[in-house]
Amino acid sequence: MGKPKLLNDDGKRLDGRALDELRPLKIAARVLNDANGSAYVHWGKNRVLAGVYGPRECIPKHNSSPYAAQIKCRYNMAPFCSLEEHGRSGPSRRSVELSKVIRETFENVIIAGAYPKTQIDIYIEILQSDGGTRCAAITAAAVALADAGIPLKDMVSAVAVGKVEGKISLDLSKEEDNFGQSDMPIAFASRNGDVLLLQMDGQLTKEEIAQGLQMARNACVKISALQAEALRTAYDGAKNGEKQLDLSI
Amino acid sequence: MSELIVPGQMISDRPTRQPSTYVEDGKTYSAVVAIKNVEGKIVPLQGPYSPVEGDFVVGVVTNVKFAGYEVALHTPYRAFLSSRELRDTFELGDIISAEIISVDEVKSMMLDNPRCLRGGMLAEFSPVKIPRLIGKKNSMLELIRGKTGCELAIGKNGYVWIGPGKTALAFSTIMKVEREAHISGLTNRIEEYLSKNGK
Repeated sequence: MGKPKLLNDDGKRLDGRALDELRPLKIAARVLNDANGSAYVHWGKNRVLAGVYGPRECIPKHNSSPYAAQIKCRYNMAPFCSLEEHGRSGPSRRSVELSKVIRETFENVIIAGAYPKTQIDIYIEILQSDGGTRCAAITAAAVALADAGIPLKDMVSAVAVGKVEGKISLDLSKEEDNFGQSDMPIAFASRNGDVLLLQMDGQLTKEEIAQGLQMARNACVKISALQAEALRTAYDGAKNGEKQLDLSI
Repeated sequence: MSELIVPGQMISDRPTRQPSTYVEDGKTYSAVVAIKNVEGKIVPLQGPYSPVEGDFVVGVVTNVKFAGYEVALHTPYRAFLSSRELRDTFELGDIISAEIISVDEVKSMMLDNPRCLRGGMLAEFSPVKIPRLIGKKNSMLELIRGKTGCELAIGKNGYVWIGPGKTALAFSTIMKVEREAHISGLTNRIEEYLSKNGK
């Protein structure tokens, strides 16, 4: 099978988006009963659930630090999340890597010194994947952490940029990721714009990276507004005594 | 209407000292999801308990040792009640109220002035919402106590002991307070709820 054509003749992408357009994104906070904080993100065809526990007793104890909380993260793909095989035989090389980079992203913003000798667990389940799951995972986990009341210096939002048919484009879908020339997921701190995660597959020139960063920065402003909105809705929802969840895009 | 604050949002352009905030470049930012009240103070909506010296707490005895008792306070931190100057003894599983007399740098606590709470039940409550359950000059506490006939011991750590009486009603009322703690007109709604369900 040859490489599919990723841009239509009118300059739009396969799903009809412009180059700098996000897929439809919906975020809901406080979706789980027993986690301290939780969030659900429906982003294009990605569906991601994040739950946060803690600060709680650090296990094993010899890993605990008297200076700060240990942050632990598990990124996991459900066996039914995509066409390929995932999660049937425990963590893969890929999910171990993603757990690590997501943990390191949040180590920058969590004020861990407030809770010595404890651990904070971030559990991320990918229920359905369609490219850009690590960005969706970070976006969901940030809302879940805020919902849990864990002190954060900043909210975090993430999005990928990449190169499709020679053009820099925002928020790559699975096809664009697989058959495009480059993919660069980026996470930003919402307030001061610090780059907390930057990975890249493929090749980009210096100018293309600068252009992509700017594109992602603009998109993350929108994403962090949706994150704040999700937290607001969760607390307004308590007013009616029940959670109302409409996750259709 | 009070404003909802998200982590990283600026609360003041001057450095101020208050819990759940941090100062950077001379400005104060919120570290939690909170509501900003009229005085500009932030009230967190969710979060764990951080032990403070002098706090009144409620807990469960989880270990009996030669020198005293280990008490679970619904926190990741250890609390120890020395039996050196105690008259009474406690058993495993006893619910007690006590005062935190010291907190060290890893937040291990020493307790004192214990009192055994017999009968009743123990409820979990969000520690950041405890002030609403007590109310101004104990108004909420007195209201629930009066209408249900239950003694209440409200620990700052988030454990609430409900004494014998109309325990089920007291419990459901407390859960209602927790759910609606951040919505104004709480006392009126609770009063209404208690008189409707209190027969």
